[in-house]
Amino acid sequence: MLCGLVVTHGGIGKELVRVVELVLGPVPGLAAMTNSGKSVQDLIDEIRAWTAANCGAPGDGLLLFIDDFGGSCANAAQIAAVGGAPARVLTGINLAMLLDFVTWRDTLGLDELPRRLVEKGRDAITALGPVQEG
Amino acid sequence: MPLLLARIDDRFIHGQVTVGWCRKLEPDHIVLCNDEIAADPWQRRVYASSVPPRIRVWVRDRAGAAALLGGGAEALPADEGVVLLTGGPGDMLDLARRGVPLPAVNVGGMHIGGGKRELLESVYVDRGDVANLRALLAAGSRLTAQTVPGTRVVEIDRALLDALEEAR
Repeated sequence: MLCGLVVTHGGIGKELVRVVELVLGPVPGLAAMTNSGKSVQDLIDEIRAWTAANCGAPGDGLLLFIDDFGGSCANAAQIAAVGGAPARVLTGINLAMLLDFVTWRDTLGLDELPRRLVEKGRDAITALGPVQEG
Repeated sequence: MPLLLARIDDRFIHGQVTVGWCRKLEPDHIVLCNDEIAADPWQRRVYASSVPPRIRVWVRDRAGAAALLGGGAEALPADEGVVLLTGGPGDMLDLARRGVPLPAVNVGGMHIGGGKRELLESVYVDRGDVANLRALLAAGSRLTAQTVPGTRVVEIDRALLDALEEAR
């Protein structure tokens, strides 16, 4: 199975996962983690422990979803992604991306899925025009 | 090689540093001093890629960082500004002992860990940390805690460290 771990500042990740489960129901292998109060090494250790416990079977893979590039979450995820289950790191998480992950993770592999998710995540960012009448 | 900021932060390069401090100080270089990260090519690459492109990142062990920040042949150019980061007070003290002038040290982030106690919000210390902070004070460094420019500055002096140890 492809697992998903959302690693963010504050409670962003926890709320995103909660909302995804409101929409789709409980999702096995999906969890959230915060960087609050943690050093980079703490966060690396926590990501690795979660991955070993939840994503350690042969054939498992991991997608790490990060809120912002260049911060402690992204740095920790990139470092923790090496040496355990095959993993990819995606930044700029949004709700569309996470919903699409759950929908497509059984169909697409670890190489194709990130490409799709980046595309879907970007598609969800848009400026809505004025409402057309008539 | 003006040292614009010497900061203790166990997250090393992250938003408070790149967005907070670097936007204000506009350094040419960040020197990240950590023996483990310096020994790992992947970790070096991760940290080097997480800064604005204008800033050059040097990930070095203690001896290498001291050489960049000292007065010798390997020193960074005299007219280019530097931000120095270490993960804890031990590495900062080591650099001071190697002759890096550190009149002021910013204690940015030392997070909760096993056996650590809260000195200030976002600064947690064990006995070794307290001893190293005391040694930095004794070596002539002024220690202040401040997360990003414009926020509250708290002096870390002997009295504050004494109060923590007396409360033990």
